[in-house]
Amino acid sequence: MESNKKAANTFLDISVFLTGFNKMELLGTGMLETYFNVVMNMNNVALVESFLAESEKILAKNQGNAEKINNEILHKLMPDSLYNGLAKNIITMWYMGNWMNTVINPQSYVQGLIWGVAETHPPGAKQPGYASWASAPNTVK
Amino acid sequence: MINNKTYDVVIVGSGISGAVMAKTLTQAGKTVLLLEAGLTAGISLDRNGDYQNYVDYLNTFYTASAKVPNSPYPNIKDAPSIDVLDMQPISGANSPSTNGYLVQAGPLPFGSDCLRGPGGTTLHWLGSTPRMLPNDFKMKTLYGQGVDWPISYEDLMPYYEMAELEIGVSGDVNAIHWPEASNKQEQVELKNKFYGKEYVFPMEEIPTSYLDGVFTKLVAEVNSKNPVKVSGKDTKIKFSTTPQGRNSVPNKQYPYRDITWDSKTKKLVLQKDKYWCPETKKVVDGSLEEKYEYLPVGATWDPNTGQRCEGNASCVPICPVQAKYNALKTLYKSDGDKITIKTQSVASRVLYNEKTGEVTGVEYKTYHTADSITYDTNIAKGKIYVLAASAIENAKILLASNAANSSDQVGRNLMDHLCLLTWGLLPEKGFPFRGPGSTTNMSSFRDGDFRKEHAAWICPIDNWGWGWPVFSPGSDLSNALAKNMFGKELRDQLADMLPKQLLLHYECEQLPEPDNRVTIDPAYRDQIGNYRPVIHYDASDYMKKAFETAKGINNQLFKATGTQDFTFYSPTLTADYVGYQEQGYNFWGAGHIVGTHRMGASKKDSVVNKDSRTWDHDNLYLVGCGNMPTLGTSNPTLTMTALTFKAAEAILKQLEK
Repeated sequence: MESNKKAANTFLDISVFLTGFNKMELLGTGMLETYFNVVMNMNNVALVESFLAESEKILAKNQGNAEKINNEILHKLMPDSLYNGLAKNIITMWYMGNWMNTVINPQSYVQGLIWGVAETHPPGAKQPGYASWASAPNTVK
Repeated sequence: MINNKTYDVVIVGSGISGAVMAKTLTQAGKTVLLLEAGLTAGISLDRNGDYQNYVDYLNTFYTASAKVPNSPYPNIKDAPSIDVLDMQPISGANSPSTNGYLVQAGPLPFGSDCLRGPGGTTLHWLGSTPRMLPNDFKMKTLYGQGVDWPISYEDLMPYYEMAELEIGVSGDVNAIHWPEASNKQEQVELKNKFYGKEYVFPMEEIPTSYLDGVFTKLVAEVNSKNPVKVSGKDTKIKFSTTPQGRNSVPNKQYPYRDITWDSKTKKLVLQKDKYWCPETKKVVDGSLEEKYEYLPVGATWDPNTGQRCEGNASCVPICPVQAKYNALKTLYKSDGDKITIKTQSVASRVLYNEKTGEVTGVEYKTYHTADSITYDTNIAKGKIYVLAASAIENAKILLASNAANSSDQVGRNLMDHLCLLTWGLLPEKGFPFRGPGSTTNMSSFRDGDFRKEHAAWICPIDNWGWGWPVFSPGSDLSNALAKNMFGKELRDQLADMLPKQLLLHYECEQLPEPDNRVTIDPAYRDQIGNYRPVIHYDASDYMKKAFETAKGINNQLFKATGTQDFTFYSPTLTADYVGYQEQGYNFWGAGHIVGTHRMGASKKDSVVNKDSRTWDHDNLYLVGCGNMPTLGTSNPTLTMTALTFKAAEAILKQLEK
């Protein structure tokens, strides 16, 4: 249980660097637990554990130095040949709410981060109201 | 289940034409049996059940990996719908392609779908409701192409007004640009002549998108400084705002309240004071009540939901609040005492007396549960029969019955708008993926002498980025990930590029051609033994020349507006890929399935007369887009609805003879 909690925290911490969204933004989707479970259940557990161990190492070693962390992520997590493409799948999950090509559940679609990046909302949900489209988006920066 | 009752009218299909028919006939006191092929859950007179069913549709949409037009709705093996995801190129090795419900004989696959289920395709339609242009009705006379209609625009005008009330159209008649108008005065004269001096739509114009503003401003500069050249001539590009069946602010000037049957004059009448009262089930005079103002029709489960478009940006495939019109809104206005609805009941044949031609029944199969292989066969009996099952299904039922086909035109002249898509990045952010699918269209090429040479088109500005051709924004994410982008760099890249996406689509008018057709073949049947439609389809040079011309204009526009072109065409992009003058083009279906049982002035070359009655059977009417002899450049639903009101009037007249 305790080790799972630690693993979920590492998953969240590395997701911050993978997605470009801060912890509050990721937690704000309400999807952390769901996504962590998908990662654990849809993959070889040993592969996920070594991915998270590597992530933890990168984060601990570089003490919040973003440039160094990103450089290590690029070489040690991102290449398709490593961890069965897990890093990219995690990014896609946060952005689109999909695991591979399957939408995880209705909320995961609605909470996809990509819509906010495009300064809009997921089509069919979080509707901004009558005539909102006639002006530039009212994005909180 | 045995039911020997004879109804005044038997209607097949609860889409917009069936619903308009059911509402109009029952409110005029006639008894109606409505057969609907889709699931019982889709028609619920209990509001809670209605809402729960709609939430199921919405959640199915959320979890669909490809959010295509039919994705929210059940696809039942006993009454299958077309799925555009089943399309594939047709080659020697897979001819015909039998991947999906349609049997695609080619040479090109037909690229449009419709929905077989309660409410029909209006559940997923976009909702654009431009009228056809007066010249669209005279293609043969004016341009030597296609055929003329047996009626004129003027004949259809009063029915267009009925359709605009029934659907609840938002729009501004003064913002519809007439291609033949060369100045403001001509524009006003044409509007006055073809809409009427006083005419307004029931609701104010839906606000146009910010993106429309960005793009039309760029084009206005091109028009004044460096106009596009078409056949060597400087041409100014004009835009119209698009009338649409989507709730906005009621127009206080709009006078009409209801459409009622006057059995003295034998006419349907647009009423200012009188209306059909659902409590007393009579036409009552409302002139003594408080001043009438048009009231938007909200969701079927709650009239206070969907009173305005809320900007869900998902009109196709589903409006979560039903601010967009759908046919169930009309169907539920029927007189409940006069209508009998049988769901999960798939019409298979029209039965008729060989000697007199009189139709004696509609054979239908009622399946027990979704996808079940068991069913009962019954015969529905009426004085008059109406097929309202969609252009493809109507043709299929008639062919299966060997009915209404003395002209040999049943199933022929299948048409669609062939959409040439172009996409690029604007020089500034237009913020797409917001608002209704389209709110403004380029209308300069809807009519002109060029129609002698190539197809006319309307070109909507699409508000939803590059979703249609390349599945943005998901594909943009995949492309960035393929370059190993992640983190802030990934986020910034997408944040810069997605808001600049521009998509246009040139909807080119396909002409009636006898060999573009629906046929049947005993070798291809569905689970309960009904025929699957076999489609024969191709694009003529008249279409391809329009692609070439439209693309030429588009290239000039993109260049002059500083829009970075990302358009590409390839045989792997869509299955509809054609070559012309050494260039390849993809086209996409518009979902405008038209023309399979056209109306005409003579029984020799048409299936129905101008009242939508079959030439061969005095008590059989066909309604829906199949009646249209030509397509014009308008989304066909409004015109089809107008024709349906005209047909309903003719049926009432025939019943009261």
